Order: sequence, then C-alpha cells, then structure tokens
Amino acid sequence: MEILVTFVSVNARGQTQRDQRRIAGPQLNVGRGTQCQIHLPDPRVGLSSTQINLSEQGAAIRSDPGTMQVNGRPVVGAMLLEGDRIELGPYLLDVSAPPEGVALALSVTLISPLVSKGSGVLGRALRRSSRISKRRLSYIAFFGVLMLCLFAPILSDILEADSFHPSDPPAAPDMARQVARMVSAKFTSAWNPGPVSRSHQVFGDDCQACHQLPFVQVRDKECITCHQSVAEHVKRSELSGERGVAFAESRCAECHRDHKGIQMAPRAQEQCANCHNAIKGASAKAQSGNVTDFGSDHPPFRLSMFDVKGEDVIKRVRQGKAGTAGLVEHSNLKFNHKLHLNPAGVRDPRGTVSKRMGSQASGRRTVLKCADCHQPAEGGRLMAPVMMENHCQRCHSLAFEPKETNRQVPHGSETEVATMLNEFFARMTLGNAPPQADNQLEQGRVRPGSVLSYDDRQRTLQIADLKTKAVLKELFETRKVCTTCHEVSRAQTVAGWQVAPVRVARVWMPQALFSHAKHSSQQCETCHDAGFSSTAAHVAMPDVGKCRECHTGARAIQGKVTSDCATCHKFHSGRDYWHAAMQTQMRRGVK
Amino acid sequence: MRQHLSVLEFGHGRYLKLALLVCASAITAYVWHEPPTGYLKPYGGTWLGYTLGTIAAVLVVYLMLLGVRKRRYRSNMGSLQGWTSAHIYLGATLIVVATLHCAFEFGWNIHTLAYVLMLAVIASGFFGLYAYLRYPALITENLAGESLETTILKVSDLDRKCRALALDLPDSIIATIMKATRTSARRMMVGGSFRRQLAGTDVRCPTRDACVTLMRFETSSLTSWQVKKYEQLVTEMTRKSALTDRIRRDMRLRALLVVWLYFHVPLSFGLLAAVISHVVSVFYYW
Repeated sequence: MEILVTFVSVNARGQTQRDQRRIAGPQLNVGRGTQCQIHLPDPRVGLSSTQINLSEQGAAIRSDPGTMQVNGRPVVGAMLLEGDRIELGPYLLDVSAPPEGVALALSVTLISPLVSKGSGVLGRALRRSSRISKRRLSYIAFFGVLMLCLFAPILSDILEADSFHPSDPPAAPDMARQVARMVSAKFTSAWNPGPVSRSHQVFGDDCQACHQLPFVQVRDKECITCHQSVAEHVKRSELSGERGVAFAESRCAECHRDHKGIQMAPRAQEQCANCHNAIKGASAKAQSGNVTDFGSDHPPFRLSMFDVKGEDVIKRVRQGKAGTAGLVEHSNLKFNHKLHLNPAGVRDPRGTVSKRMGSQASGRRTVLKCADCHQPAEGGRLMAPVMMENHCQRCHSLAFEPKETNRQVPHGSETEVATMLNEFFARMTLGNAPPQADNQLEQGRVRPGSVLSYDDRQRTLQIADLKTKAVLKELFETRKVCTTCHEVSRAQTVAGWQVAPVRVARVWMPQALFSHAKHSSQQCETCHDAGFSSTAAHVAMPDVGKCRECHTGARAIQGKVTSDCATCHKFHSGRDYWHAAMQTQMRRGVK
Repeated sequence: MRQHLSVLEFGHGRYLKLALLVCASAITAYVWHEPPTGYLKPYGGTWLGYTLGTIAAVLVVYLMLLGVRKRRYRSNMGSLQGWTSAHIYLGATLIVVATLHCAFEFGWNIHTLAYVLMLAVIASGFFGLYAYLRYPALITENLAGESLETTILKVSDLDRKCRALALDLPDSIIATIMKATRTSARRMMVGGSFRRQLAGTDVRCPTRDACVTLMRFETSSLTSWQVKKYEQLVTEMTRKSALTDRIRRDMRLRALLVVWLYFHVPLSFGLLAAVISHVVSVFYYW
C-alpha cells in the first residue's frame, strides 16, 4: 500500500511549489525526525509523535495527546476521510481524494512558518533578569567578615601601639581614637574562645593583662606579676634527668590554660605520674615513693613523728615498712584509750551513770565518747589538741591539800607548781588554817594586832618550804598525780622533778589535704582503731588500705569515691616551705 | 558499562573511601587522644586539635580551589568530575574534622562563627548536590522531550492562532485574548527575579485569567460557527496555559539548579575570611 504526499511550499518569490512523493505503507511515521517517512522539519513538531496506519478499512491517524487537531478538534486518533484537515504544530495536512492505486492522498502545508523575528523573541524570553552577582556577593562576604572579625578587633592594638611609644610620654588620646578603641575592644571580645576562670574575670576584656605580646605565648612573667608568692613544686636545683629538666622548663600555661570555664587548675593525674611513676628520673634527690594512681599504685603513707633519739627532730616514717611494724609513738605520755572508752564508763565522781558492771565496776561513772576529748580545730581540717584543763582535769584533779579541795596546782610547768605551792603554804601558815605541821617545828600562834618578828617570818617560810617539798614529792612521786599520765624524773630544778616534754604528733600528715570536716559522715572508729589500744605508744593512724575502702584512684568505680592526686596533694605546696612550717606547727603543739 | 556515571560514583567511589578514611582516622585519634593537661575535655589547642585544625583549614582552601580549577579549561590536573567528586566527599568530611577540632565547644565568638559559616556552606552544597542529581531529570520530564525554545515557539504560534480565532468573536473576547497574548509577548512570561523564578507560579498570569474569562463567557449569543471558533479558542488557550505552566516549572527547576550557588559561593568566601580571622586571632593572643 502506498500513499501520495504532496509537500506544498512557497518559494522566495511567493510562488507555490508542489513536491509529490509516493511513500510505502502500511505504517508511516510523521514527525520532525529524519527517520520519519513523512518528515516535517520544524522544531514545533514532535520527533515522531504521529503515525498513519493503512488498512483494508481505510487510513487511521494516531498522535500523542495534545499534538494534533483534526478539523479543529484536539483528538488522539481518527479515521482519515476526504476533506479532513489535520493540524500538526505549524503544519496543515489536507486529505484529498486518492488517485488510482494509492490508499491515501495528503497535502502537507507549512501554514505558520518559523519567523526569523522569533529568535529575537526567544533571546529576550530566556534572559534572566536577576541582577545579583555571585562575585559581588563573595567580595562583600569576604571583606565584610574580615573587617568585622579581624580588622576591627585588632584595631585597638594598632591604636594602642601608635599612641604609646616607650620613648615618648603618652599623648592625650583624642576623642575619635578613644571611641574607636572602645568599639574595637567590643569586637575583640568576640575573639574570646571561652569563659575565663573565676579569678581572672577581674580582668574583664583586657586581653593584654596576660597576652602582652602578639603571636607570643603567655609567658610566666605575666603570671608572676600577680602570683608572686606561689611556691615552686620542687626547687629547680633539685630537678635532674631528662624529665626533671623538661619539668623545670615548662611554662605555667602548660598546666593552667584559661578560657576553659571557671576552673583553670588542672587535675591531671597523668601529668603527675609522668614524673612520679619513676621519681628518681626527675629528681635524684627525691625521697617520695613512686606512684601512678591512688587506687592501684600508691606507697604507704609517711607519718611525721618525733624521733626517739632526737629532742625535737621530726622524721617521716613510712607505715607498714619492714622493721617498723607497729609504729611506736614516743610521746612521753601514758594513756589508755581502751580504759577510757570502756562501754561501762570510767569512774567519775560527778558521773551520771551508776550501773554495776560485773563485780569490779561500781560507783558513779561516765561513758566517754571520742568527741569528749577530740574536738575539731577551727576550720575542721585538723583536730584540736587535747588539753588537760578542758578534757582531763574534770576527773584527774590536781588537788593537793585536803583542807582546800577546790585548789589545784597549775598544769604545764613544774616551776609554777613549786612556786604556787610555796606561796599557798606560806599564806596558809600565816593564816587561820595552818597546814598540819611537822614535828620539828612548833606551830606558831600570833596575837592579833602584833607584828611578826624576823624569826617568826623565817620560821613560817621554813614551814611552807618543808610543806611544799612534801607535797611536791606526793604529787610527782608518791601519790601518782603527775605520773598517771607523764614520765617524771628527779632533776636539779626548782621543783626537783622534771616532767618529760609531751611530744604528741599534732599533724601526722602535714602535707595532705585531708579534712576531718569532710569526713564527718563517718564514725571515728571507721578509721582510727584507738578503742583497742591500751598504750599511748600505739599509733591509730589509718593506712592507705583503710582509705582505699572508700576511695579509689582517678578512674571512677561504682561505690567508691574517685580520688586523683589533687584530692589529697597540693602541687604548689613548696615542699621545703611546708616542711619548715610543719616543724614549727608541731613544736607549737609541744607544751 | 554504563555510559553515565554520577559524580558520586567517580573512580569507584575513590573519594568516598578517602573521606571515610579521613573521618575514621579523625574519630579514632579523637577517642584515643588524651589531652595532655588532663582537662576533662580535649580542645583545639592540643597537638591533635592543631592537627585537625590544620587539616580542616587546608581542606577549606582545597575545596575553594574547585572554583579555580573549573575555569581552567586547559588544565590537566585531574578531571573536573574527579575534582567535583572530591569536593563533595571531602566537603562532607569537613563536618567531622572541624567538629572534632573544636571538640564540641561552641560560644558566641568568631570561632563558632567560622564553624557555623562552614556548616551553612556545606548545607547549601548538599542542596546543590541534590539539585544536580534530581532536577535535570525533572527538567527533561517536564519538557516532555522538547526544548524550552520549541515550547516558547509553540506558545508564540498559539498566540498568533488565538488572535486569528478571536477575530470572529465578540469584542469582549477579542479584548481578553489580545490582552493575554500581547502581555505575554511583551513580558515574555519567563525570567524575572529569583523570587518569581523560584515561585514557579504566577498569580497574575494573563493567560490563565483569559481562560477563566473565556470559560465564563455566555455562548448563547453566538452563532453556531462562532461557537465553533469559540470552542477552538478555548482549546488553544487551554493548551497555551498548559504550556506556560510548563515553562514556568522549567524556569523554577532551572532556578533551583543555580540558586544554591548564590549562597554557596559567597558564604564560602565569608568562611575563608572567618577561618583567616580565627587562625590569626588564636595565635595573636596565643
């Protein structure tokens, strides 16, 4: 089957031209594509959107929706009959009566040719009218940010440097410059990477307080301007070895970095362990043990105690060290904790408990608790010293004269005791209630209103002296008043006896940051096993194992208090400084 | 083998692997690293912080060099597709590297400003990537195999045809049609500000207005052949309306394809300035 297609066109001179072609069927594609049998070269026509099918029934046309109109009506398909007018884009297809031997006759006319003016229309149509330029925006963004974030903050420094020259006296800044500097300082605060520590907030926005030279790290000099009295961890002269030298050269700011929040003191266990894991490597003179973590690797504590031999020499003795098993304190005191902490109480004339305990305990008694004698010192860190006057004398009376039971000898000085007794008995001899006289001397009676003769006075003094000596002997030797607690020996002194100086360790671990107040949730016995001790030589200081029952190292463990080095130790303690202070403090405790 | 490989698949994901490697190394180092001063948190000033910061700064500069490379048509320094692939993957890596560099510390300062600018640049870049992957297909689909130019020509033809058809119809109709066709010819329907382009619709579209007016027209006064013309006119105007909608959608899609660059490029220059300020400020007050 074939169809006859007549292409009608108009040439440049306006003459109509006809070009007839016979095209074989039965199926023909119509479109702008060159593979189409009926080729319609116009961009407004679909590529191959239309087909003509020839069959026994006739010719049918089918096209994509919206591309074809048959007799003015948009259709998708239609049977082609003589006289039909098919519009395909700018083309008009007329169906005419087919000649012999041809199934269909079509004439194809371009009714609305693509005018050249159209390209101009197209050009204008596609023009984007957006006037924003990426390049211009980029310049604005780049220089805008640079101005606000770099130039504005740095301006105050530039102005500062300009106005102040070390050789010139600073010129009075003019108004504009001052305003510029103020504004610039506000921008500079936008450089602050984080809040400064609590104690440095006093500087406000004054960056130069610490950052004095641009592009130079904060120097120790700047820190020491304020922190003049800070103690060195270790004297630089004592540091040795590679680590020691590295430590000596480290800057303050390597540990103390500000702008990290309100706390700037580091708690860096790893840093401590850097040297302290093998301390001899950093300081050959070091005496401390190696340590890396409290929980797993910490040497036994060293207790500061008076040396046995020396007078006031304090030595640090390590607990649990071979040969020191059962540390002994040479305090020159006698004290029995076990007796005093008897649950049935101790004998006390003014006691409130009156209960029989077995066969031995009877009479008025008082049950003592630790806190009856051991009170926290001011601040709560240490315990206040136990004082005879406050804690012992209620029961341990220093009375010496049965006639005057409310009088007691003073505590603390043998000379004062002797003097007081002498004066007391002299007064008594002269007064109305003379002490019981010895046989050698007659008791003198003086008439009221008479004047004592020299001999009378001498005799009175003799009586008092003799009585004093007798009482002193009683107190220091026979009646066991002083010797209940003290070591007493005869000596060539005013009193004739000497009480050994009390050398109680007031601060066992003077460098530790231990605070009794912070441990007030615990019972005394939790740490101090004094209740079993019957002698003052016993040292009831807890050891490292006792602390570890509650405390672990820097790594958190459930049920334990996380404790790094800084929990108990001070870095800037200045070992020697503390040691000297400690010695003084301990001597002060000695009466 | 497929002829077209997406920029994401370049070199069998060479840069994806590189990016994952960089991320994994950075995260591993961050987790493993213990700040020397024992602060509970790491920060940008440790050796790892400086390392990550340097990597991030170098990445920023490298990513911006894509703009230079794509203008160097004679350059042999890697294919542009490779550069783009690297740009995308390494740009995404920057999020991880920079976040670890700052160690999750943010504040109201220029350092966080740089970080936020970086995120904004990357976010706009992600949109660009999405646009490049999705919109070309939508544009082709929208134009149904035709080009924008032919569609506009069709509209132009329809205008002429409608004007011719309207000649036989009453004055009110001809006025409507003339308005719709003339206005569109003058304003050319397409283009306009970014806002108009991105909107993709025009509430004051004269063609649509004309369609509505035509539909409401009372045909009882028309003769039968006038009705025929009227019907044809309605058909043609409806076709034109569909075509203008299609053109607007095309404009919208094309605008979406480029609009992100108007954020991406200027913001990246802002970022470059912020990074410079950040680095200078950190070492100025060391």
